[in-house]
Amino acid sequence: MAIRQPEEILGQKKRIRMLIAGYPGIGKTTLALSAPRPLHIDCDFGLDRVEARYRVPFIQPQSYDELLADLVPENLRDFETLVFDTGGQLLTLMSLWAMKKDPKYGQRDGTLSLKGYGFVGKEFMRLMDYCFYELKKHIVMVFHAVEEKDGDNTRLRIKVEGQTKNNVWEPMDLGGFMEMHGNDRVIGFSNCERYFAKGTRGIKGVMKVPELGPDKPNDFLTRLFDQYYKQAADEVRMAEEQKRAYEAVMEKGQAIIAKIEDANTANQAVEEMKQLEHVLTSHQELAHLFSQKVAELNLVLDKKTKQYVEG
Amino acid sequence: MRYLITHSLLSSWLWAIKENPYEDATTEDDSWDRFLLILNQESTPVTPAMQDGIDFEQLVTDIMFELADPSHKWFEAAQQVYQIVRKGSLLQYSTSKVVTVAGKELLLYGRLDALRAGTIYDIKFSRSYERGKYYSSTQHPMYFELVPEAQRFVYVVSNGSEVWTEAYDREDTPSIIPVIEDFLRWLERHGLLETYEAKWQAK
Repeated sequence: MAIRQPEEILGQKKRIRMLIAGYPGIGKTTLALSAPRPLHIDCDFGLDRVEARYRVPFIQPQSYDELLADLVPENLRDFETLVFDTGGQLLTLMSLWAMKKDPKYGQRDGTLSLKGYGFVGKEFMRLMDYCFYELKKHIVMVFHAVEEKDGDNTRLRIKVEGQTKNNVWEPMDLGGFMEMHGNDRVIGFSNCERYFAKGTRGIKGVMKVPELGPDKPNDFLTRLFDQYYKQAADEVRMAEEQKRAYEAVMEKGQAIIAKIEDANTANQAVEEMKQLEHVLTSHQELAHLFSQKVAELNLVLDKKTKQYVEG
Repeated sequence: MRYLITHSLLSSWLWAIKENPYEDATTEDDSWDRFLLILNQESTPVTPAMQDGIDFEQLVTDIMFELADPSHKWFEAAQQVYQIVRKGSLLQYSTSKVVTVAGKELLLYGRLDALRAGTIYDIKFSRSYERGKYYSSTQHPMYFELVPEAQRFVYVVSNGSEVWTEAYDREDTPSIIPVIEDFLRWLERHGLLETYEAKWQAK
């Protein structure tokens, strides 16, 4: 395997994993199908609710085994995005599959056991990794949202049983909640009292979802992904520059600290360290390493002379 | 005179006035009593939830020093936490900062689980974790104030079997200063400012 440099990522179009949540009927599926060249994985059998002109090639798996059999490279050459609709129903198929695989993952009432939730959570992550890293597809995961009371506030959450709801967020690059603001459909990517979303690479705040019509293409997510790439390239470039500067100053600082052997060299090190131009938290980190080193050597600071002396 | 302010003090106050879940101590006991104990610098009872947090953090530390028992029921999760947190070259880093709020000189104090390259990491144990749990916490705003160069704060949360991360960026995090200002005003209105000044003098 060839070792590659971080800046090489700049030239690549990274695949994106996104979660869309909202009330039934708000238009989540149509929005999800605006991603680049989508395959609609219609776990909910809800395709008929999408206006005919926005429908795309689809599969309707009746079991998780059937879905796995469909998700192979030769079936997916024409697609860039896998739209799982809904993620909740996908997890139901996965749960049935898990309980069939091993009864210990289920309970008598047909629900998952604690072990079962753990297993399904892991399988969900494995499937996401497979679609993203091996199949190299964008992933758009659609979830219904539910309201939950939290003290005086009402919060929107994705509709998923148990702690799996935390797992589904982990791999996502973006996660937005769709709501109506007046007559407008909007999607929010920033955390607020109402929901906890996920925005990265400059995709944040609340965005209006454009109205569709005969002369308007359904391409909101395709354009959003392009915006993400542009921001990602800028951000990665800046982060790389900052990281390089940080690593360089840490290396210099550590070399200065490594030379400390006694009070004289500690005092020299203080002067040398004053010349460093710090980046991010290098100042705190190096100051801590310095303190550890002088303590190891039993050196103490003479408060009058401001010089280190033997303790 | 300078007075000490910690995230725990603010958090117990907010919990007492029912505005903020006291995430480290989801207890059945009286949150008001707990706040008064903390304000008076008296020891507070360790709840099972708090003990879980202490034990889990100890397990992560034991893994760091290769002292952990691999058969421990939380070992795998604690190891995952360690994989994330060990990126922090500074572990258990205590830091403080002097600020003036409402005419008072205050010493903000915090102990970071890990710090590296502009990111602060904090380990949490929670049996009932829900994504977004720490949105209203005073911890990340307080620590961003303490470490002005930090850009990101990551809660690394486990329930003993699974591990999740919840990240906050500086640019999206409100300042802790208005919360401290409210706290001081509230103490004054409720006749507790003298207690605070007597018990929380910074050394």
